[in-house]
Amino acid sequence: MPGMLGEMFVQMTYPIALQIILLGFIGGILSGFIGSGGAFFMTPGMMNLGIMGPVAVASNITHKFGKAMVGSKKHGEMGNVDKKLAIFMLITAAVGIRLAVEVMKALFSNQDGQSASGGAAADLYISIIFAVILSFVAVSMLADLIKSKSSDETGPSTKIVEFISRLKLHPLIYFPVADVYVSLWVILICGLATGYLAGTIGVGGFIGVPAMIYVFGVPAAVAAGSELYLAMFMGAWGALNYAFEGMVDIRCTLLLYGGSLLGIYLGAYGTKVVKEGVIRLTTGVIILLCVLSRIVAVPVYLQKLGISNMDPAYNFYFNLASKSLLFVSGISGALIIIFFVQRAYFQRRKLEASLSLGEAPNSA
Amino acid sequence: MQIICISRGSQGYGTELAEKLSQSTGYATISRETITDKATEYGIPVGKLEMEILRNRPLSEEMSIVADMYKAFATAQTCERALNENIIYHSRMGHLALPGLARVMRIRAIAEPEYRIKRVMDRLKITRKKAKDYIDHIDEDTRKWTHILYNADLSDTSKYDLTLNATNLSAENAAKALASFAQLPEFQETPSTFQDLQDLLLAANCRLAIGSDDRSRSVNVGIQADKGNVSVTYMPRQSKEAKTIPDVLKSIKGIKSLVCTVATTNVLYLAEKFNPDDDHFLNLIEIAEKWNAAIEIVRIADKDEKPTEAPLENKQQVLRANQGETGGILEDSESPIPSAEPGFGISETVDKLIQVGHSGGARTIYGGTDALLRSLSKTEQYSLVAIGDVFSSKGAAAQRMKREMLGKLKDKFRVPVIGTEDLKAKYLFGPKQLFNMIGFAVLFALIYLIAFNFQEPILTFISKGQFGGTVYDKAFSALAVVVCVPIVAFSIGGFFSNFLKLLKVE
Repeated sequence: MPGMLGEMFVQMTYPIALQIILLGFIGGILSGFIGSGGAFFMTPGMMNLGIMGPVAVASNITHKFGKAMVGSKKHGEMGNVDKKLAIFMLITAAVGIRLAVEVMKALFSNQDGQSASGGAAADLYISIIFAVILSFVAVSMLADLIKSKSSDETGPSTKIVEFISRLKLHPLIYFPVADVYVSLWVILICGLATGYLAGTIGVGGFIGVPAMIYVFGVPAAVAAGSELYLAMFMGAWGALNYAFEGMVDIRCTLLLYGGSLLGIYLGAYGTKVVKEGVIRLTTGVIILLCVLSRIVAVPVYLQKLGISNMDPAYNFYFNLASKSLLFVSGISGALIIIFFVQRAYFQRRKLEASLSLGEAPNSA
Repeated sequence: MQIICISRGSQGYGTELAEKLSQSTGYATISRETITDKATEYGIPVGKLEMEILRNRPLSEEMSIVADMYKAFATAQTCERALNENIIYHSRMGHLALPGLARVMRIRAIAEPEYRIKRVMDRLKITRKKAKDYIDHIDEDTRKWTHILYNADLSDTSKYDLTLNATNLSAENAAKALASFAQLPEFQETPSTFQDLQDLLLAANCRLAIGSDDRSRSVNVGIQADKGNVSVTYMPRQSKEAKTIPDVLKSIKGIKSLVCTVATTNVLYLAEKFNPDDDHFLNLIEIAEKWNAAIEIVRIADKDEKPTEAPLENKQQVLRANQGETGGILEDSESPIPSAEPGFGISETVDKLIQVGHSGGARTIYGGTDALLRSLSKTEQYSLVAIGDVFSSKGAAAQRMKREMLGKLKDKFRVPVIGTEDLKAKYLFGPKQLFNMIGFAVLFALIYLIAFNFQEPILTFISKGQFGGTVYDKAFSALAVVVCVPIVAFSIGGFFSNFLKLLKVE
């Protein structure tokens, strides 16, 4: 692709296209397995392929829109969606997304208003937000797991819920499906944070779901279903905003779908056959490795911005290390899940076979 | 026996009413507090369960078992007493005890807020504000407990036969009225309710035995008993521990047959008549195989139909299969199978389900749709409710009535509810799905071909926002992205969904 179009969007070769499909597949498996997210793997993976951070985020949030539409339909059938809660959160989530797009737009353009060198600043910003938020999520997840093993405490902590309910910040709104009363102000703040993160790194669910569970006191299944419902609107709004700014690479979105919509079914099947502790441990470790992969890429952006004097020849090695870490974490996580899925699948086949061969009952 | 359940919510009036009623009728009283104390003595950590629920924590697997044990203990205690004498059970959610049991008189005792505040102020010697806060807390705690343990709403008036208001009616006069109300034929025992009570007790005793034995206490089970025939379902990952269940239940009196089925989830199959060779039923079995589900069958008997006490027609040797680690059907003896009233195909259908390893028990509910909705517990975790032939005597209105029933069940369980005739189209792979899969594949390929053969013009069009397009250009390209993306997602998603149906991975 010639000129500015070539600077903005990656040259789509077969290897790159296949790697994006693979990213989508692994991201889909993780997303189906964890119940939200997936972009935490896909966005940095795309950045490692040379796709500019804002374009990766924009393409991912557009991808999230369609994916959430498919997923929330299933959750809705199971009665796990609190539409009222999702709509209340959407009010400020939409503002958060717009804010994120504005920040990204400002970082993406250099002083002349062009997008060439501004890409590194945006990439650095995305990587830092990624590392901070995802480290927090992974560490909390693993700490929760250790705590639940070593004590009698069961389920997520309700300390924050109890603290906020003591404050009695009126107006309190009742959400019937989740069966909780939550202060409007708390919802609006959490909605804003969810929207901002969804717009910045494409993983609003990593804030939205914990906020619903730990801050609002919503049951986990309803939190996942409602977040997916919210993600559908946030994705649509994010896609609209980023597409308006011309940052969506529709080819990447299409390729991601090619892998993710298969992966998500396999991941969701995995949750039925894998123990909860294993799910949380696998997820926590994968997220930590993704964080590490992003941190390894930071010196490259610092060098591009002229903040660091590192020899540009090292950029290749840092990129390679970052990419390898990400793929190793994603592929090994996906392989663990696929292992459990195939084991359960063949066990079921074996059971059916043993029932149909020679074990028939004798009717008296 | 006669059972009167009083749901209290009036700061003392309900208890007073139960006592006065006991004096005038001679019936024994049982309170929730007594049962809770006994459950704690039995070893069920009720206090811990209460704390978990009141702190609004989602129940862990361990706590779900505690909740299940507590409910089984309460049911066993109440049933045991009710089989021998007339009882008055009173608790904050008394009407939810003995779920689904007909001919139980369910009373709600309420009072206006001022009355309640005054009672609390007098009793606890506290200020008006503190009394009001105290009542608010109690109400909130009761609401949480009812919601989590019974998935019910206390304010749902359709669950009560009568509501008494303490503000306007003294406990003494209310007791007199209730004593006369209790004589109505609608609240008298029948052979069928006596049998139901025995089955409830049997299922509860089985649950307590499983939860109290070291070998099986961690197994999360679903238990149904029907005329002494017990079905137990458990999760595949607990197969090893669940193998001990037949041995654990050996000492329980009243078990005629026992079927243990490994199941990830449960499917409820409702109909008036069953045919094990019916194509729709075979489709349901195929779905159960895919989902590793147990199928619970429930026959809906018409309002006018009387329960049969006839001896069961078929005897069968229950399959004793060697299932290895994945579990399956276990035990037990030569015995009748559930709800085998002649002519409705239940015994043959259950036989078939036992053969294929997906039996989740069977029962008959008398009294038509209303009784069905009352009897099915909202706490049951079904993944699917399938409805076969119903309302066959209603002629042209049958379809409409079935649709209404689908809607009511959907509202109740919040899971997919579907007619058996639609199972194949929605959940199985057939010619329609093949056609859809090919259609989606063609669309999928076409989208990719267009997108990757015309990369430059497409990217130029959608990146106008970056390269100086007008506001209209930008808006138009953004709109195009937002409209196209769901179409792409549904076509690719539709292809994979059908493809995985073909592979039976769902």
